[in-house]
Amino acid sequence: MIFPEVNWIAIFPEMILALGAAAVLLVDVQWAPRPRTLARISFGLFVAAGAAASFQHFWLAGLAVGDLSQALPFSEMVVVDPFAVFARLVLVLVALLGLGAAWRFVEGLGRRAAEALALFLLATAGFSLMAASPHLVMIFLGLEIGSISLYILAGFGRQHPRSEEAALKYFLLGSFASAIFIYGVALLFAGTGSLNLLDQRQFLAGTILLRPAVLLIGLALVVVGMAFKVTAAPFHGWAPDVYEGAPAGAVGFMAAAAKVGGFAALTRILVTSFADYADVWAVVVGGIAVTSMLVGSVLALAQDDLRRLLAYSGVAHAGFILTGLVAGRAGTPGVWFYLAIYSVQLVGAFAVVAAVSGPASAGSPFSRYQGLARRQPFLSLSLTVLLLGMAGIPLTSGFIAKFGVFQEAWRAGFAWLVIVAVIASVVAFFLYLRVIVAMYMAESDGEEVAAPPLPIKAVLAVAIAITVVFGILPAPLLSFAADALPF
Amino acid sequence: MLTALIFIPVVGAIVVALLPRRRTELVLPVGVALSLIPLAVAGYLFATFESGVAGYQFVEEAVWYQPWGISWALGVDGVSLPLVVLTTLLVPIALAASTSVSHRLKEFVAYTLALEAGLIGVFLALDLFLFFVFFEVILVPMYFIIGVWGGERRVYAAIKFFLYTAFGSALLLAGVIAMAVLHASQTGVPSFALTDLMALDLSAGTERWLFAAFAVAFAIKVPLFPFHTWLPDAHVEAPTAGSVLLAGVLLKLGTYGLLRFNLGLFPQAAVDLVPVLAVLAVIGIIYGAVVAIVQPDLKKLVAYSSVSHLGFIVLGTFALTSGGLAGGVVQNINHGITTGALFLLVGMIYDRRHTKQISDFGGLAQVMPIYSGIFLFTAFASIGLPGLNGFVGEFLVLVGSFPTLPVYTIIAAVGVVLAAIYLLWAYERAFTGPLDKPENQKLTDLSGREIALLAPLVVLMLFLGLYPRVLLDRVEPSTEAILDRIEAVTTYSVPAPGRIGDVFASEGGEG
Repeated sequence: MIFPEVNWIAIFPEMILALGAAAVLLVDVQWAPRPRTLARISFGLFVAAGAAASFQHFWLAGLAVGDLSQALPFSEMVVVDPFAVFARLVLVLVALLGLGAAWRFVEGLGRRAAEALALFLLATAGFSLMAASPHLVMIFLGLEIGSISLYILAGFGRQHPRSEEAALKYFLLGSFASAIFIYGVALLFAGTGSLNLLDQRQFLAGTILLRPAVLLIGLALVVVGMAFKVTAAPFHGWAPDVYEGAPAGAVGFMAAAAKVGGFAALTRILVTSFADYADVWAVVVGGIAVTSMLVGSVLALAQDDLRRLLAYSGVAHAGFILTGLVAGRAGTPGVWFYLAIYSVQLVGAFAVVAAVSGPASAGSPFSRYQGLARRQPFLSLSLTVLLLGMAGIPLTSGFIAKFGVFQEAWRAGFAWLVIVAVIASVVAFFLYLRVIVAMYMAESDGEEVAAPPLPIKAVLAVAIAITVVFGILPAPLLSFAADALPF
Repeated sequence: MLTALIFIPVVGAIVVALLPRRRTELVLPVGVALSLIPLAVAGYLFATFESGVAGYQFVEEAVWYQPWGISWALGVDGVSLPLVVLTTLLVPIALAASTSVSHRLKEFVAYTLALEAGLIGVFLALDLFLFFVFFEVILVPMYFIIGVWGGERRVYAAIKFFLYTAFGSALLLAGVIAMAVLHASQTGVPSFALTDLMALDLSAGTERWLFAAFAVAFAIKVPLFPFHTWLPDAHVEAPTAGSVLLAGVLLKLGTYGLLRFNLGLFPQAAVDLVPVLAVLAVIGIIYGAVVAIVQPDLKKLVAYSSVSHLGFIVLGTFALTSGGLAGGVVQNINHGITTGALFLLVGMIYDRRHTKQISDFGGLAQVMPIYSGIFLFTAFASIGLPGLNGFVGEFLVLVGSFPTLPVYTIIAAVGVVLAAIYLLWAYERAFTGPLDKPENQKLTDLSGREIALLAPLVVLMLFLGLYPRVLLDRVEPSTEAILDRIEAVTTYSVPAPGRIGDVFASEGGEG
């Protein structure tokens, strides 16, 4: 058999993850090891994928400038650019932390552990491909691989009816969004004659479209489809129910990975193909950003369950990230910095949820957190730091992230958007303060909360470190993100 | 040196947090001892600060993230130096006064030290980004101090405090970003350095918008009428140490910001908008005083008196004269000392009687002569009795404001009389008259420890009243430089006799 000359380096991380998923299933069938062993194997696979992505980073640095052929293997279906490498590293980090948060959940699954772990691996591979492809069909495939894995994960808590409800709802609305996306892709193909973003860019740069309607409708549908995935309002309806019902151990990973993948694809499509149409889509994206920030912040006020609160605050965060995206290519580093920081904080916060409510539980009402500071000081301190980070209090990386996107949006001429955003962030303070009030200023309800297991402690330590260290010394991550641009 | 000044309390907070859980009796002494180190450093700064020089001294600068133009830039001038010293002085006193804090003492001390670091940082920052970081981060420890260790309605007060001031800082953030983006568009590189931003070329409209964004943020902090409603709640609910630092230092962030940034960055808009600020200041002076008169609660009375006193500072600042500016800075310090002392005194009586209602007292002078004496002395200092510190600042402000804002000054002067009414009337009701409440008859006078806490403040009241030069020599060059710049870049010129060297300013300085 003769292999065609291809650059395997380009898909190293995805190969490790996808083959690893198969391997985990086979190992389980053959030797039926304990869930903990399988989880350790998966952990090792994620570390290997991270190492592969890091290797790509250095390989890319050594590549001759302008030599795109090496970086665009598989008939330009996959791309190795700093953008993709950054996305992979973020996804692997999210997966590692998510796996840590899910450790107890996986251990409790018994014989089903291998399936859950395979889904973790596959989802990461899918979103990773989605972020690393300049081809719309490949993006769609990655999206589906990732999303379908998550639909199943959402239903893994079989003993809770709410978990099944979450899975079904996620599946139906998610498929709907995918359908909208793929319809948009079809229209883009009709409008430009290509499914490759780089070709589309070339075509659009050299052509004046007299009737761009098809193209613009297609673009709008693509944006809407992705807005579903990243829980931007008004396309966020599924998120609170899914976050509330899915198994606590898995939610953090599900939420963060889908957001990273969705934002990566959306950003790549908008800044690659449609850079010249920025004045058209930036207003739309700005509008979605405003809606998300306001809807997310305000609706979160009415929640009395921490998971639903995190879901709605996630809507607001999607709005903040979109605020950076309106600046187009210039805003991309800000988007990446924000995504990296926020997804780590999100996984961390859900790790606390898993520790407080139990790894397979559904729901996490505030009453569980009353007086938590006295019973579990480490958990409440962690959650406080992470929430302050999400709120964007200075000296946390959340502040640097917000500052970055606001700055770029203002520079791009979206001062009004920034003013809405700063006001929305004040409303958002209130959300997080409510949780902190419950933990520190309310009397305990007497229910015992078990001490967090070691993996969760480790996850929280990493999440806190990332929140605080990059809040004080953001330069290394900022300059890394500054290069994370698509070709 | 300045960096160390910020980090010593941070390290202190960590040390306190790491103390063994069982040795609670160690926490307070260690905390106080640690907070004496910044005081010593600040004292050294004050002593070695070159008076008669306008610019920033002890400047330290390190690039933070170059593409954004942010840097760790610290420096101190005549405006910020006294505030730094005041902060480092009040923190040990406030901590030492917190013996009544019974639960979670370790966290309390750690938060207070973290607060100190933030406060010092605000006054030292020469980079707008850095300033904003400190300005906002202060909210967190203060929020916990009010929310965990406060009174009955502490959670409400803490959230109100946080959201109110966070709203102000949101506007400030938008303003700061706008400035940096403007700098980038004018020079090609973004910068948040104060000196760079002062050189910006702003259109009149932009300048006014930015002025407004900054002014609202600082007006909420001061607080200026009509943004003051968070203050009484926060003060009444906060524990004594919280109130002392809130009134003593936190409010000064507002007046400091107005002077440093609104006058420094937007001179033209400042000149144009003097009437707005002056009206709000005068309303605050009269309104705060009138409301203070009718307060049945001693702590609330002191809180409203702050609204009134800070009105004087804002009036002086926007009088745009030598006396007004210098008087405002001096009054910042005086108010910190006297109001800090008043809150300590209220806290001491509350610890004994568990009430702050004036009507629950009466005739206290018979059982607590030392307490009453110190209370009266502090009240006199606050009212502005000549020979005490309050007089110097108030007199400078009024004399300084008269040349440019005569009508406002006359109205404001009524506030001085009202101050005498609310404080002396409260004194009369609480301390004189018959000792008719049985609970009050058993009250004990101040202990040696309590007297030791108040002593430095009382000494300063007298010392600064008799020898204000020690402050003014350091303050005046900086405030003069601010005025020089306003005169240089706008068409405004201070009418005689508003500058030093004009007829009377030197007498005013002697107090």
